[in-house]
Amino acid sequence: MTKPATDLISAPVWDGFVRVFHWSLVALFVISVITGKVGGNAIAWHMWSGYAILALVLFRILWGFVGGEYARYGSFLSSPGRAFRFAKGLMGKTHEYVVGHNPVGGWMVLALLLLLATQAVLGLFSNDEIATTGPLARYISDEASIKLMSRHRLIGDLLLIMVGVHIAAVLFHLFVKKENLVRAMFSGRKELPAELAREAEASRKASMPLGFILLSIAIAAVAIAVNWPALFKS
Amino acid sequence: MKTLTKIAIAAGAVALATTAMAQPKPENFVKQRQSAFALIGWYFGPLGAVAKGEKPFNKDDAVRATSYLVPLSKMPWEGFVAGTENVGNTKAKPEIWSKAADFKKAADNMQTEMAKLAQLASAGDEAGFKKQFGAVGGTCKACHDDFRKQ
Repeated sequence: MTKPATDLISAPVWDGFVRVFHWSLVALFVISVITGKVGGNAIAWHMWSGYAILALVLFRILWGFVGGEYARYGSFLSSPGRAFRFAKGLMGKTHEYVVGHNPVGGWMVLALLLLLATQAVLGLFSNDEIATTGPLARYISDEASIKLMSRHRLIGDLLLIMVGVHIAAVLFHLFVKKENLVRAMFSGRKELPAELAREAEASRKASMPLGFILLSIAIAAVAIAVNWPALFKS
Repeated sequence: MKTLTKIAIAAGAVALATTAMAQPKPENFVKQRQSAFALIGWYFGPLGAVAKGEKPFNKDDAVRATSYLVPLSKMPWEGFVAGTENVGNTKAKPEIWSKAADFKKAADNMQTEMAKLAQLASAGDEAGFKKQFGAVGGTCKACHDDFRKQ
């Protein structure tokens, strides 16, 4: 039931790690797409951007277990039936408020995370047959590496489509449902009905030290993987 | 007279056989162009580590590599004869033949940029060489994007 805006109360939803993760990812995704299309010497930046995305996504995958309430899988993954009902509800006049990711968006989050991780890992093993190979391409055959390169291109296109859908959904919420999710992802706060706002206020908060520890672990893991050939030269 | 006729026929047969032998099979053309590209990759790839700053610029190495690359850059194109679209493991797209002028342009671009790379190597211009490496790589990519199955 769409309620007048005066009945809505601002409440904290997205923890700082989720927000910094999201907007860093946006910037890096744009950089990756552009440098990938441009090629030439921009490929050096493409690789750095990919490493950074891999570290961020690894962090976010871990954060899904132990982050703030609404960063957790337990909070944003619901049954397909529930997602379907929610999607049907979206098409109607009513508006069901959700504190965190909605049941459809939650699945999109998981799909994007897994696909981004796959994409970044594929890049590590790719060979563009010009002058660039991912740092781990030497451990597989050229044939396999070239095949993974074509998968890397394919998933790149798929990601562009999914990001397009993601943005379209956010714009739908903004213009049709009058809910500004973009601002919420910056401020971390959402305008919610009183009951949900209370729930958000009382929800489990993120642990800053744990976030930094996990982020460090993710960065270290990627740094080790990327430098594996140099570290473990026989 | 009879002997002469025999000699003439024999000479004709040899000439025919020679022509037939000089005419490579489609798979030979594919091999020709793939071999040229393989060598281009062999000499061009390591320069990428220099362009990325992973290896120091060495003028002698750069001159040597580009002195091979300039002639190599002219070679693969004669391998793209009609009738070799689907031969062996080729990744050639039909557009190579249906948009022959565009393909020629893409091939010319690569040769032009490669020649510039060689000049910069000879001049010992490290910064220019690194930048130009990207320009050559860009011509490779542009052609791959349009004319090569991914």
